[in-house]
Amino acid sequence: MGFSKLASWLGLKKKEAQIIVVGLDNSGKTTILNRLKPDNEQRHDIVPTIGFTVEQFQTKSLKFTAFDMSGQGRYRNLWEAYYQDCNGIVFVIDSCDRLRLAVAKDELDLLLENEHIRNRRIPILFFANKMDKRDAMSSVKCSAVLGLEEIRDKPWHICASNALTGEGLDEGLSWFADQVKEVINSKRK
Amino acid sequence: MMKRDKKEDDNGGLNPFSYLEKTSVLQEGRRFNETPINPRTCCHILTKILYLLNQGEHIGTTEATETFFAMTKLFQSKDVTLRRLVYLGIKEMANIAEDVIIVTSSLTKDMTGKEDQFRGPAIRALCRITDTTMLQSIERYMKQAIVDKVHAVSSAALTSSLHLARQSPDVVKRWVNEAQEAVNSDNIMVQYHALGLLFHIRKNDKLAVTKLVSKFSRHSLKSPYAYCLLIRIACKLLEEEGAGSDSPMFEFLESCLRHKSEMVIYEAAHAIVNMKHTTAKELAPAVSVLQLFCSSPKPTLRFAAVRTLNKVSMKHPAAVTACNLDLENMITDVNRSIATLAITTLLKTGSESSVDRLMKQISSFMSEISDEFKIVVVQAIRSLCLKFPRKHSVMMNFLSSMLRDEGGFEYKKAIVDTIIGIIEENQEAKEAGLAHLCEFIEDCEHTVLATRILHLLGREGPRTPQPNKYIRFIYNRVILENAAVRAAAVSALAKFGAHCEDLLPSIVVLLQRSELDTDDEVRDRATFYLNILRQKQKALNSAYILNGLQVSIVGLERALHQYTLEPSETPFDLKTVPLAVQPTQEMKTAAVAGEIAAPKATEKIAASRQDIYAEQLSRVPELANVGPLFKSSNLPIELTESETEYNVRCVKHTFPHHIVFQYDCINTLNDQVLENVTVQMESADGFEVVRYIPAPKLPYDQPGTCYTLVSLPDDPTAVTGTFSCTLKFLVKDCDPNTGETDEEGYEDEYVLEDVEIVVADHVQRVMKPNFGASWEEVGAENELEDTYALSSMKTLEEAVKNVIQFMGMQPCERSDKVPEGKSSHTLYLGGVYRGGHDVLVRSKLALTENGVTMQITVRSTDSSAAEVIARAVG
Ligand SMILES: Nc1nc2c(ncn2[C@@H]2O[C@H](COP(=O)(O)OP(=O)(O)OP(=O)(O)O)[C@@H](O)[C@H]2O)c(=O)[nH]1
Ligand SMILES: [Mg+2]
Repeated sequence: MGFSKLASWLGLKKKEAQIIVVGLDNSGKTTILNRLKPDNEQRHDIVPTIGFTVEQFQTKSLKFTAFDMSGQGRYRNLWEAYYQDCNGIVFVIDSCDRLRLAVAKDELDLLLENEHIRNRRIPILFFANKMDKRDAMSSVKCSAVLGLEEIRDKPWHICASNALTGEGLDEGLSWFADQVKEVINSKRK
Repeated sequence: MMKRDKKEDDNGGLNPFSYLEKTSVLQEGRRFNETPINPRTCCHILTKILYLLNQGEHIGTTEATETFFAMTKLFQSKDVTLRRLVYLGIKEMANIAEDVIIVTSSLTKDMTGKEDQFRGPAIRALCRITDTTMLQSIERYMKQAIVDKVHAVSSAALTSSLHLARQSPDVVKRWVNEAQEAVNSDNIMVQYHALGLLFHIRKNDKLAVTKLVSKFSRHSLKSPYAYCLLIRIACKLLEEEGAGSDSPMFEFLESCLRHKSEMVIYEAAHAIVNMKHTTAKELAPAVSVLQLFCSSPKPTLRFAAVRTLNKVSMKHPAAVTACNLDLENMITDVNRSIATLAITTLLKTGSESSVDRLMKQISSFMSEISDEFKIVVVQAIRSLCLKFPRKHSVMMNFLSSMLRDEGGFEYKKAIVDTIIGIIEENQEAKEAGLAHLCEFIEDCEHTVLATRILHLLGREGPRTPQPNKYIRFIYNRVILENAAVRAAAVSALAKFGAHCEDLLPSIVVLLQRSELDTDDEVRDRATFYLNILRQKQKALNSAYILNGLQVSIVGLERALHQYTLEPSETPFDLKTVPLAVQPTQEMKTAAVAGEIAAPKATEKIAASRQDIYAEQLSRVPELANVGPLFKSSNLPIELTESETEYNVRCVKHTFPHHIVFQYDCINTLNDQVLENVTVQMESADGFEVVRYIPAPKLPYDQPGTCYTLVSLPDDPTAVTGTFSCTLKFLVKDCDPNTGETDEEGYEDEYVLEDVEIVVADHVQRVMKPNFGASWEEVGAENELEDTYALSSMKTLEEAVKNVIQFMGMQPCERSDKVPEGKSSHTLYLGGVYRGGHDVLVRSKLALTENGVTMQITVRSTDSSAAEVIARAVG
């Protein structure tokens, strides 16, 4: 114990963070997380998630444990079981799925009202995913439909992404990592 | 139960989990939510939860679901021990928590992941939480896992598939190719499990199973476990086909006796000796490998061998005598279980002269063996007593000393059963046996045994030379025991009062004390018996105390229920209640063969076959007016040869003035549907068909029933006759594949075997526990006497058997057993004649040069009943 504290003080050991990845089904959550893992650990067969899985990946400064939740209607009420202990939220949107953007907004509103989220300054990263597709909406448009400007008590950020190539992921994640670190550090004090 | 608690108390100091409390353990489960996870703590908590679940602790759905959700957080830990405990936790909670399928993706990820330690257990957990609809989504992974090169993964997938096959047989069937591939594995467990799955998938297709066995019995399997399974499958096939030693399956079994693995050899030998129809010749090679095992240095092999030989010796004692020398050597085996089995086997195969020596051997270590093996000894004693009746005094002493020892209920029950069995078989053992039982109930903690013994004392005690010596033992129970035992003791006392005039005054005094008992039942019985005893009438004593109620309990319940539904002015008539059906001799011998397990079946009040018939018949509206069912004939009579177009079996139901013939028919032609099916009957003996109740439709292979209602002749003594029978029906052709049936049909008929009505159809067997009392009760008013020469009978046994069969009556006082070497014998038969008339028969048989002469005396409450019975043999 003494050593690990010392090591982290020296910056030798990475801090660990727990995050939860949510969003409607088929939005690309699992694909994004898969892309964030080292090449040799990536899988090629991604199927709709049933329930959830736990994935791990790292950035330069943080070690993430991510709960990849299923977006299917019957499993959405599961999300809240994992809110309490998370240090950050990733919300993935299928930027081509115009029809269901309203559903995504409802789910987001529910999330923001949850007792374990409401009063916490917890960072939320939005991915407007599938930007490579021709009929994709821009991140600005998505942001407007979701009404993100209403969120005032939490740091948030939206960026367009392509989970198949990894485009946009690093950008979003570097913002996210900084925010999460801040939250963790403030908690320590 | 009491005992176990005590034991647990003793060990309390050693088991760290013995004082766990459910609520607080579940409370601790919340710590699974903490980050970072502490694997050591979480492992400990999970272990406690698993312990509680396995102790049978009930956890409610809400609590379980909460704990389950908390547990899912542990998937983020990479600690191997913790994760494997999580898999166990998932399996245990699969049926009590809600929404357990949320771990599906996590488990599929683990089963296809890199960590081999996770893969097998993840598969097992996944298959527990998956239902048929979800199974489709993991099917691909299961197929891959079955053929995985990691043995543990493959085995886990195969065994889980077997479990899944129960709820989703159709999906699992599709994995047959993967299972085939896995059978070729060089890992012994994988091969075994794969064969198991393969068999399960094909088990309903007999041809495929036969092929499977013949294929694998040639191409040699590597796994001895797979071999053992194959032996079991082959055995099942052999039994089903009723095939003999010329079958290739049997050859396979025999060849396994020469296998190099001991396990396989044993399995084959065990299979052969347990087959239903084995001859001495077929047994010999199996017995000789078991004999070899008897001198093995491995105790497990010796145990297996001697245990199997012990079983064989019940059915084929001669086949086992070849092993007597080896068995003698095992008497002193340090393993007492082996020694016990060796001795009890020898007891069955040995001669009368060796009994004393063996019994002495066994008593030297009786205190060292467990209850289970003590029961084995008791069973051996029981069969010895049947074999060597003269040895009963040695055995009785042995049994009574066993009764005094410590032991559980099953053990004590086995001893009591055996003593009662000996008493019933052997008059000479009666007094000694009753004395031992009296001593036993002085300190008996088992109510069931005490009441049973009291009942026996009540029946047998009054007829011994000195009835008064039992009174003290019985009365002690009235003072000292619980209500059920007191009630039984009161009934027993009443029987002494009813049978022994000189004891009556003191019995009345004793019963009067019970009139003040705190328990209703005890008081009611005492009052009832006192009132009857005070009448001092032999007939009343016989009917209400000594011989009791003869009706079927289930039937009585139904009749009373019916009576309360339709209130009427006329009092309830006990004669409308069907009589209790006495077990026949065949049923009894079957029970003896089943040994200790058998009595259980007769203990509880089950609906008898006749009760079930009564229920069925009452639902046929056309039969509503024939009155209460008096008797149903025993086994159905086959009216067709086997494997003909139609199968018809007949059961006769006797009513006060009618007989209903029930025909259970099966149409074995898949291209015909029969309609309006009846059985036409004709007779020249004055019986008249009143109506036919057809089976409306008989599709292929679906049983259907039709009835023919026949009225009895007016002459009350004309009761027997023969009927010619014809099956009549309308045939409609149909397509066996589509089931499409022609509109039009044509009439056809099919000739059946004749059916007979015999005297026995009019008589119900009734056991009179105290025949003498009943004889007095019925009285000489309608007595008939006759003498017959039964010239075709060569022995008394044969005569006894035939007389019983002709009259369809119940032998009482064990008079169906003819003592050895006697030239005369008296048979007592009890019964009730159609219409509810008691009938009793006393038949004195004497052996002469030209067969057997019989002097028969019939008493009945009805004159024509007496006449019919007296003429039955003529
Ligand atoms: N063209 C395109 N397709 C994508 C992108 N991201 C994901 N997909 C595809 O979208 C489909 C769904 O992706 P998943 O990662 O399974 O979606 P999910 O959000 O995890 O869905 P659930 O687990 O059901 O909640 C897959 O076929 C992916 O290949 C993207 O950026 N561009
Ligand atoms: Mg997913």
